[in-house]
Amino acid sequence: MRHHLTYQYSLEAVKKYSETELVLLLKQRDQTAYSYLYDNYSGALLSVIHNIVSEVELANDVLQEVFIKIWRQIESYDDTKGRLFTWMLNISRNASIDTVRSKAYQNSQQNQELTAIKQDSAGSTQLPVDQIGLRKVVHQLREEYRVLVELAYFQGYTQDEIAKMLGIPLGTVKTRLRNALIQLRTVIKE
Amino acid sequence: MNIEEYISSGIIESYVLGLADAQEVAELEQLKSAHPEIQAAIDSFEASLETAAFANAIDPATTTKDKLMLALQDELIDKKNTQEEATTEAKVVAMPLKPIPSKSANMFKYIAAASIILFVVSAAMNVYFFRQYNATNKQVVALLNEKNALFTDNNNIQAKYQEISNSLQLMSDTNVIKVAMKGIAGKENNLATVYWNSKSKDVYVLANKLTKAPEGKQYQLWALVKGKPIDAGMLNDCNGVCKLKNTQQADIFAITLEKKGGSPAPDLSQLYVLGKVSS
Repeated sequence: MRHHLTYQYSLEAVKKYSETELVLLLKQRDQTAYSYLYDNYSGALLSVIHNIVSEVELANDVLQEVFIKIWRQIESYDDTKGRLFTWMLNISRNASIDTVRSKAYQNSQQNQELTAIKQDSAGSTQLPVDQIGLRKVVHQLREEYRVLVELAYFQGYTQDEIAKMLGIPLGTVKTRLRNALIQLRTVIKE
Repeated sequence: MNIEEYISSGIIESYVLGLADAQEVAELEQLKSAHPEIQAAIDSFEASLETAAFANAIDPATTTKDKLMLALQDELIDKKNTQEEATTEAKVVAMPLKPIPSKSANMFKYIAAASIILFVVSAAMNVYFFRQYNATNKQVVALLNEKNALFTDNNNIQAKYQEISNSLQLMSDTNVIKVAMKGIAGKENNLATVYWNSKSKDVYVLANKLTKAPEGKQYQLWALVKGKPIDAGMLNDCNGVCKLKNTQQADIFAITLEKKGGSPAPDLSQLYVLGKVSS
């Protein structure tokens, strides 16, 4: 099968497989393809995870968990529903939200905040680790949009929950979120 | 529905980012098949998301990949083997050098282990039963010997019983005359008894106490009729009562020690016992 490969060249990296071939090989449980997938996509996925899970070590744990899910669930990936990256992005987002919502994380977060306050008072500088990638883009949105994308996308709340949380009608949440996403697309494409 | 408006409503982004609800997703997927521009918009947004993510890529910790491979170790090995097996037909390649650890191989191991265990157990049982067999065999031989000995004893006892029974029969017969022959002077230790049937005239002798006859000698019974000795037979090595010669007449019975085979006339110097017939 390998000799049928077409090589795609880009300025950034030499891609060994096209996405279709990569998916096909992954579904055949090809280890080399899996290793390639990790080497090429882990960085981009870690940035997605890092938008939600700010601790580097924990984000790496989530990344490992995400790649285990990719390996085990590749059969369920349907290329008619979207790109491989989008599928992996959604796995990453869900795994990250699950982590952030877990009790263990909530507890550690409280401790972290206490530590952070101490460090702040001691005069050390906290890096804005969350303001990278998509989240950075979101930060450029108007406040009313930003909050919605934050809650809906990065924290995984349903629009219904957001409506109750913010005390605004569900219709308004829908409209604002749609508008926010349109803006987001514009910013991303720039 | 105006498709351009629909596309620019934010539904595409909502759908791709997984923020659309089930109803919105169903609607989009239905429209998508009829309007290829929807698919194009989706592709475009997905591509820009991917590009943005790659632009912001963060290098994972170097240990993460190792940890991942370690976590998937078992699955990776298993799947690889399965794949090799599955593609063997299509590819013309050498047979895998390493034996594939399959379920049947494991089964064989278990069977082999079980056989060895069974063999050892069976060998041990062989030794055990062989020893048991030998011991039993010896016991059987001992019992057989014992049985034979008892059988012989029994025969002897039966023979003896028969003699005694016969003697008793003889002695209790009302026609039999009992003649006690006492040892003469110098031979007082000796005693013999004659049982003489007055009807049949048969003569029986019981050697109650008679000195064992020396080599070449034999006791001989005599019937004395009016002082004249008549040979009444030789005492053989019979146990208990010995039947001797039929004697028609007798006043006295006597036993002398004679040469083997007997004598025509008694050697009175060798008279041992003597008894009068009481009429």
